[in-house]
Amino acid sequence: MGYSAVVLAAGEGKRLRPLTTHRPKPMLPAATKPILEHVFDALIDAGVTDITVVVGYRRTRVQSEFGPSYRDVPLTYVTQGKQLGSGHALLAAEQAVEGSTLVVNGDQLIDSRIIRDVVEAHDGESTAATLGLVRRADVTRYGGVLLEDGEVTEIVENPRDDRSYRLNAGVYAFEPAIFEAIRESEPRAGEQSLVDGIDTLLEDGTRVQGVVSEGTWIDATYPWDLLRIADDLLEAGEGRRIADSASVHESATVIEPVVIDDDCVVGPGAVVGPNVCLGENATVGSNVTLERSVVDTDTRVDNGATVRDCVTGRGVEIGPNSTVVGGPGDVEIGDRIHRETSLGAVLADHVRDEGGVTYEPGSVVGNGAVCHVGATVGGTLSAETEVWG
Amino acid sequence: MCGIIGYVGTDRSDAADVLLHGLSQLEYRGYDSAGIALADGRLDVHKREGELSALEDALAGADIGGQTTGIGHTRWSTHGPPSDRNAHPHTDADGRVAVVHNGIIENYQTLRDELAAEGVDFRSDTDTEVVPHLIAGFLEEGLDDEAAFRAAIERLEGSYAVAAVFEGSETVYAARNESPLVLGVADDGTYLASDVPAFIEYTDRVIYLEDGEFARLEGDEIAVTDAEGRTVETSIETIEWDPEDAGKSGYDHYMRKEINEQPAALRDCLRGRLDELSGRVTLEGFEDLELRRPVTLVACGTSYHAALFGVQLLREWGVPAQAFLASEFEADAVPIDTDSVVVGVTQSGETADTLRALREASAAGATTVAVTNVVGSSAARETDRVLYIRAGPEISVAATKTFASQQAALTMLAASLSDHRSRELVRELRSVPDRIQSVLDEDAAREVAATYADASAYFFIGRGYNYPVALEGALKMKEITYKHAEGFAAGELKHGPLALVTEQTPVFAIVTGDGRRAEKTIGNVKEVEARGTPVVAVTDGQSEVGRYADHVLEVPPAGEITSSMVANVQLQRVAYWTAHELGRSIDKPRNLAKSVTVE
Repeated sequence: MGYSAVVLAAGEGKRLRPLTTHRPKPMLPAATKPILEHVFDALIDAGVTDITVVVGYRRTRVQSEFGPSYRDVPLTYVTQGKQLGSGHALLAAEQAVEGSTLVVNGDQLIDSRIIRDVVEAHDGESTAATLGLVRRADVTRYGGVLLEDGEVTEIVENPRDDRSYRLNAGVYAFEPAIFEAIRESEPRAGEQSLVDGIDTLLEDGTRVQGVVSEGTWIDATYPWDLLRIADDLLEAGEGRRIADSASVHESATVIEPVVIDDDCVVGPGAVVGPNVCLGENATVGSNVTLERSVVDTDTRVDNGATVRDCVTGRGVEIGPNSTVVGGPGDVEIGDRIHRETSLGAVLADHVRDEGGVTYEPGSVVGNGAVCHVGATVGGTLSAETEVWG
Repeated sequence: MCGIIGYVGTDRSDAADVLLHGLSQLEYRGYDSAGIALADGRLDVHKREGELSALEDALAGADIGGQTTGIGHTRWSTHGPPSDRNAHPHTDADGRVAVVHNGIIENYQTLRDELAAEGVDFRSDTDTEVVPHLIAGFLEEGLDDEAAFRAAIERLEGSYAVAAVFEGSETVYAARNESPLVLGVADDGTYLASDVPAFIEYTDRVIYLEDGEFARLEGDEIAVTDAEGRTVETSIETIEWDPEDAGKSGYDHYMRKEINEQPAALRDCLRGRLDELSGRVTLEGFEDLELRRPVTLVACGTSYHAALFGVQLLREWGVPAQAFLASEFEADAVPIDTDSVVVGVTQSGETADTLRALREASAAGATTVAVTNVVGSSAARETDRVLYIRAGPEISVAATKTFASQQAALTMLAASLSDHRSRELVRELRSVPDRIQSVLDEDAAREVAATYADASAYFFIGRGYNYPVALEGALKMKEITYKHAEGFAAGELKHGPLALVTEQTPVFAIVTGDGRRAEKTIGNVKEVEARGTPVVAVTDGQSEVGRYADHVLEVPPAGEITSSMVANVQLQRVAYWTAHELGRSIDKPRNLAKSVTVE
């Protein structure tokens, strides 16, 4: 179909801290691939032939990962200098696009069905915008959209009432009128949101339609959602594989479903799986037990460790005979406590433990923290903290 | 050192566009003047001093278009200053033939004197101009285009990749000797160029021309012949890398893109070559290499710094080894015989000095090895064994990711040749991509660069593995900032260079580990600090060097071998941001070209 797409990938994703210290949310792993890579796949599978990526927060991570093209589709990068909302982000791409344009969030998992549904439904002659929508029981954390005969009547952010909302999946087809509408909309708290731009279109009496899709839509709000996303992807059969360049010792046991990426090493006697994702160049030592975990690139789990329900950042070292006990546990994020969360631990980039460390359920350990031999870790630790046994 | 391109189209008639696009892809080979010749009945030559944009501007006003055939050239001066008249293509007096050339014609003075005696007027200072005049002479004698071209080439001594077009013809003739030349085959025509990126957009099917061979390009056919005129059977190879790799992907400069690509480049370099459990390094094709004499590495520039690092490791692991500058290899009179192993380290695989040294070694019966980035390059094809560093295309003139990949590849080569097995080493190597990423995630180098952008000179000191890094740090700084910069073995400072050190000359000290070497280097740092000179420590924090430094650039700790690779990235970034502060032409520094294909 030869559509052009704009992917919004400039935001940090603050609620996913501490995993987003060095990279934006779109670069967090869904199974072993960045969320953004899944979004690109969905776009290209739907026939998109040209992609503009709006980058901002930690943009070099995106540019270095994907370079000038992905699956032979050229990528053009435009920079949003300050992250002042999704509408502001789209304005950064204005010069790079012309005519009808697909716009998608780069930090939520979607499949190609939603994109196809939106493209098929969109008729630029009669409609300035077409929104991709999904049915969800709870839309309170997202954009709720009210439809009448396929036409959008109202968009409400974080709706609290019980009208029958559809969830805004962050997949749009826009006519160029959207740019003016974003500029006209009043910034709120200094930010220009895409939804306010759409609101402006509605207020001006412009037709905006919505199309309800059966396609996949998954968002990660908190770090432990990466476990759920991995579960969903593995269940769907996506990404299940052991890379040719990975080396799995003959005496190791791999319990499907798992995905083991390039250059990984799994040592003798290790038991890996089910529901384990090993990112590029990860190392699992001998006699490690590893279950339901997302282990990111360059991370090492040393000999004899037991790790369950764990999300790691990059370059983490879990020492010999350490134990991530596994969920459920209570997790503190900011001033909120998330009770009975199915999380063993979140270990951010370059957390290093020296061995024999025990992580209580729901632990969140900040970047570069060091856990000395025999320490017991619980609750939330900030970056560069040291914990003694 | 220049870049050439040629094109003969079948049904398309936009030869000028194809040539200009090709030249833009070859600009990394030189860029002080550029030109094209279009053949359409008469020959139409356009050339300009300066970057390619100057030629494009000149063409914008010219009446061109509709031609199917042409040749083009981007120049980096070897004979005569950059100017319109020294720019290629060169023609004979009557404009019957136009010629582009890359390389050096060693007997050009003899030929020129001879032609001048016959009354030929030379319009340029170049060695190349003898070629069209020679061809014209043979045409006068009644030879046809092809025979005249061959007869002229036979008169040349030296290195050349030459292409010529003739008035009233839609054929391009080419010949090669010791300069790179590759042919491209597509449905819409045939191509030739110094390097594949020139035409990769149009075709990925290529034929590599060998030394001493001639090619005749028609729109739908390429005929390759040897020096005697016999037809040569050629095989068409398919280029597998992605032409889009040549894009800047959102960065201002290729150099920054390439610095940031290092973690990925190193993963590719290391892939499939390490075994974590046994600590072994396996390099395909090197298992049975016998070492009876010291292993000899030859290289130039950045590659030479990598070679210095490589020989340190070989010697440390028990294999006698030595490194030579390729341009001094002959003069150094290194004893080479059939028992010798000579390793040429060259990113492009086309570095003339290194190729010359490898050819000498080969002629003496040595086993030759190329450590290179470019598949199908002259070095790769002419040596007995090849170790690819797998860094991917590097466009910026200043080498960055290829240095890191050379260091990693040479570490593996040293481990393999010495049968050095170490789980520690394998583990360390596998941690390099992540440690480099950590360096890339921080901004400290940029702050240091801003602080010292107006310094009068920069000095770099290091010991052991960090000595080649000090040399490389200084080379990067010179290349892209045009500022005076020198690297020294830390202990040498007090034997002379210390006299240069002032408050205006920051000293970068690369100090890793906490052993004897680190301690001694800290001693050298104190000597500098005592003279009020700003000190920037590039360190893994294992030693106390930070206490004597004004700034610290951090290197995530691990073993010393790989820390030197990671430390180098900090220095690349300091050079980049300094050049940025100074507004330099970072990807194309003045007077330099990417691969130096002249001796």
